[in-house]
Amino acid sequence: MEYMPNFQLHRPETPEEAIKLLNEQPEAKLVAGGTDMIVNVRRGIEQPKNLIDLSSINQLKEITESNDGLRIGAGVTLNKVATTALIKKGYPAVAEAASSVAGGTHQQYGTLGGNLCLDTRCLFYNQSEWWRQSNDYCMKERGDVCHVAPGGKRCFAAFSGDVAPAMLVYTAEVELLSSRGIRRIPLAEMYQNDGMNHLTLAPDELVSAVHLPRTLNGTPSRYEKVRIRGSIDFPLAGAAVRLKMNCGKVEDISIALTGVNPFPQIIKGTDEYIGKALNDEGLDILRDSVRKQAKPMKTTTVAPWYRRRVIGALARKLIKELAA
Amino acid sequence: MNQIKPTKSIGIRKPLVDGPEKVSGKALYSADFIPADCLVGRIFRSPISHGEIIEVDVSKAEALPGVKAVITGDVTDETFGVLPIARFEYPLARDKVRYKGEPVACVAAIDAETAQKAIELIKFNYKELPAYFTSKDAMAKGSVNIHDHREGNIERDVDFDLGETDGGLKAADLIMEETYNCAEVAQVQSEPHAAIAEYDAIRDFMTVRASTQVPYYGHKMLAKTLKMQESKVRMIKPFVGGGFGCRTECLNVELICALAARAAQGTVRIVTSREETFITHRGRPETDVEIKIGVKKNGLITAVDFKAIQRGGAYSGYGVVTILYAGGLMFGVYNLPAVRYRGLRVLTNTPPPGAMRGHGTTDVRYAFESLLDKIANELGIDAIEIRRRNLLKAPKYETLNEMFINSYGLPECLDWVEEKSGWKERKGKLGPNRGLGVACAHYPSGASKPVNWTGEPHATVHLKLDWDGSITLLTGAPEIGQGSTTMATQCAAEILGLDMSRFQSLTSDSKLTPKDNGSYSSRVTYMVGNASIDAATNLKNILIEAAARKLEVKPEDIECLGEIYRAGTQDDGLNFNEVVQAALEGTGTITVKGNYDTLPESWGTKKYRGGAISGSMAYAYAAQVVEVSIDPDTAEITVEKVWAAQDVGKALNPLAVEGQIEGSVWMGMGQAISEGTQYVNGLGITNSMLDYRVPTIIESPPIEVGIIESIDPHGPFGAKEAGETSLVAFIPALTNAIADAIGVRPIDLPVTPDRLLQLMEDYQKTEKAAE
Repeated sequence: MEYMPNFQLHRPETPEEAIKLLNEQPEAKLVAGGTDMIVNVRRGIEQPKNLIDLSSINQLKEITESNDGLRIGAGVTLNKVATTALIKKGYPAVAEAASSVAGGTHQQYGTLGGNLCLDTRCLFYNQSEWWRQSNDYCMKERGDVCHVAPGGKRCFAAFSGDVAPAMLVYTAEVELLSSRGIRRIPLAEMYQNDGMNHLTLAPDELVSAVHLPRTLNGTPSRYEKVRIRGSIDFPLAGAAVRLKMNCGKVEDISIALTGVNPFPQIIKGTDEYIGKALNDEGLDILRDSVRKQAKPMKTTTVAPWYRRRVIGALARKLIKELAA
Repeated sequence: MNQIKPTKSIGIRKPLVDGPEKVSGKALYSADFIPADCLVGRIFRSPISHGEIIEVDVSKAEALPGVKAVITGDVTDETFGVLPIARFEYPLARDKVRYKGEPVACVAAIDAETAQKAIELIKFNYKELPAYFTSKDAMAKGSVNIHDHREGNIERDVDFDLGETDGGLKAADLIMEETYNCAEVAQVQSEPHAAIAEYDAIRDFMTVRASTQVPYYGHKMLAKTLKMQESKVRMIKPFVGGGFGCRTECLNVELICALAARAAQGTVRIVTSREETFITHRGRPETDVEIKIGVKKNGLITAVDFKAIQRGGAYSGYGVVTILYAGGLMFGVYNLPAVRYRGLRVLTNTPPPGAMRGHGTTDVRYAFESLLDKIANELGIDAIEIRRRNLLKAPKYETLNEMFINSYGLPECLDWVEEKSGWKERKGKLGPNRGLGVACAHYPSGASKPVNWTGEPHATVHLKLDWDGSITLLTGAPEIGQGSTTMATQCAAEILGLDMSRFQSLTSDSKLTPKDNGSYSSRVTYMVGNASIDAATNLKNILIEAAARKLEVKPEDIECLGEIYRAGTQDDGLNFNEVVQAALEGTGTITVKGNYDTLPESWGTKKYRGGAISGSMAYAYAAQVVEVSIDPDTAEITVEKVWAAQDVGKALNPLAVEGQIEGSVWMGMGQAISEGTQYVNGLGITNSMLDYRVPTIIESPPIEVGIIESIDPHGPFGAKEAGETSLVAFIPALTNAIADAIGVRPIDLPVTPDRLLQLMEDYQKTEKAAE
């Protein structure tokens, strides 16, 4: 097994303690389930002197329902997200996405907050220290070059969390906690199109909860991902679709993708379909629109053109299923 | 009294004798041995693919407190390697490095953190040389030689032409040809490589425990590279988490571990990471197969003309054998009147491949069975029927390379899969994107000529009978999860008519157990099984004589009923403990041995150089039918069902045989649809279990196993190979099913969805163009 470097582990029991620690140790890294973070620590990608383990904060593990909607604590495990009846019934794509993360055991440990804040991934980045050193590192970490697009100035590492797109189609909001208090922003604003720095969080902020609006509770939705194996794999491409039909016409539609860009992406231009029927031609146009907006790069061993092809086909299939 | 019968053990579903330790977590694997004074060994690996070593400066690493030893290539100038003709590898590189990740130095320190710090303090100065990552580049004109003694980077050039190949092709009504590329694959066994070496400085004695399939070869190479007498080395194989050929030769890990232990005058433990295990490699080489088959209108094959090029990595390993197998094992499945072969084993700056399950034959058989299927389609002959027409002819089963075939259950295998899969009724009627495919294969039951020619028997088993009536089976045969100890116990128990609970076993400890060549090329059941039968027969004779003395009758009058030895049906006889007591009188504890050796008739052909490779005492046969469905949008392949028939001679333990066949199907499926190493400038980019995609249990299809028993006249109770043949058959059966499902025939392996979708789109374009 890869060598595990030494670090100081902090285990706060309240969010306030965690924030205090984060202010005291600005370079500290947050860890919850650790299913992704610890792999990166072993590989030397993250070299934290201090790790703040959020798994003992019970306040972050609550699911509460209010007039506002559903509030899911960031520390709720993916397994719980996948199996909680309120989520399965009210926001099915969210539960479906959580149940498709990695394998069953990962879901027992991995958390909602961890999946939303998942680091971007790339074949040239998620490698051992020896490997990256032998390859002169990359611009995302210690190096200058992007091996995916040499000569380019951007990092294309792909966001690969499954839950974010499902949350996005429900216009979820996130609660961010810091010493300045709580702020609530649309989840979409937590991300930006930059593989090196895809989260807009301030260094001293932590995600404490996600809000799913009551207004959209019960609208039909689906999440599915393309992967080589039926378990373990990150999405080569993933799509969440929320679709409400009324008398054969689209009342509301939203599509979001993962795995094909440095951030989870909402497909633009779907509003045009509101009030229209979805025939084969319309489905084809939506499919092509998804393909156009997805920009997979060679960040996995599977060809980018394939990921673009199938993300369109997948989105089309999900829309058709929901429309039926 | 008349009701007493010898206990049967053969042909009965027996749980593995070492199962309880494994499932309870008590089993100790190499990495589990952690004595208090144990040092941590870590390996410094080359960051470049090819270069001259100018200096490995370890002074700063050595000066670090807590570091007990740092060794480099200076530690030994002795090479190692499995084949006496191709030992060109040093445990730690000297003069040159030849692939990224090749071991250059090793640190032994008091803990992992110190060892890692020391690794970071090593300065490696080198002069880079041109590096070649493909067979083509390595063979190109003007390429630098990776090894001075291998001009043009050709490790071995095999050439034979048996029968009238040109004439056969001329006489053919149809000739088809194709070029296939099969990706390099790795075993991804569950246990990464690990070793622990204890050096006793006072006695100058070395004890090594290592995850290996071949403790005897490891023992020899330890003595060679350490320059110690072989008797001063003790090699122990603890529990091993799978092999599949990745540890079929001595690996650098165990040698480096021992060299570091001696340098540190203590105990060193090296547990490699999954990435290091991939780099140590010894998987199946990337292989390009160009093949041409000529047939008559009725489907009878007139000639086969083929070429295989294997990307052999930086060192030979088993390479010479692999390229010979790729040629020789063309024979033995079908009646081939003429075959021409050219095989090139090429040296490249990539990690060295080895003898992976289905050694040498898998990729070539894939190409052959794939092309034969295409020919059947072209001729309008049913895919099973064309295979039947080309079967070997009973009773002699003659092949041009003089294979020793005495049992041939392939016709029955074909019958079984045809019936069980509903082939006749269902083929072509499954609807869109769903299809059936068939393919056949074979595999030897061990190589008849040993790697090291010593004149010793192929296998030796000891049985120790003591005063308490217990029998201990001692074998050097490495139990690696395949069930060899269970098999050897069954064989002995069957002969003695005793329940297996009377037996315990001790395996693979060079100070206790007889030497064994190792667990590879499916040799153990055939050879060690026969040796176990021989040992038990010898013990039985001693017991019969003792019983005869006690009962004052002639030995030939003694009837052995396992727990009872008696002189006549009316006689109460002696119970087993009484017989044992009689046998031990005046002699004490009895240890008998049994041997096995192959017959010279099985040693292969002398018609071409290297013809001994592929000579075996027996060959197992397989036919498989695979049912597959393809998602037209994503080209995702779902293996719906597999019917796997294998002629194993005799299923000594049907439970274990089923497990082997299911495992073969599963492993073949990985190579067929998702597995393949990839390199970027010689750096393995798929060296983790996430990016090297072994199918999971979710992908595992329902598998119906058909055991065909042809009863080989020389096998132990008629048994033959059971663990490799079905892997070989699966791959072409799957791709033939894909062709049946969608009309597109995959060529290169693995058939990943992006590759398949490309083929499907190209096909649709040509279809449209044709309209």
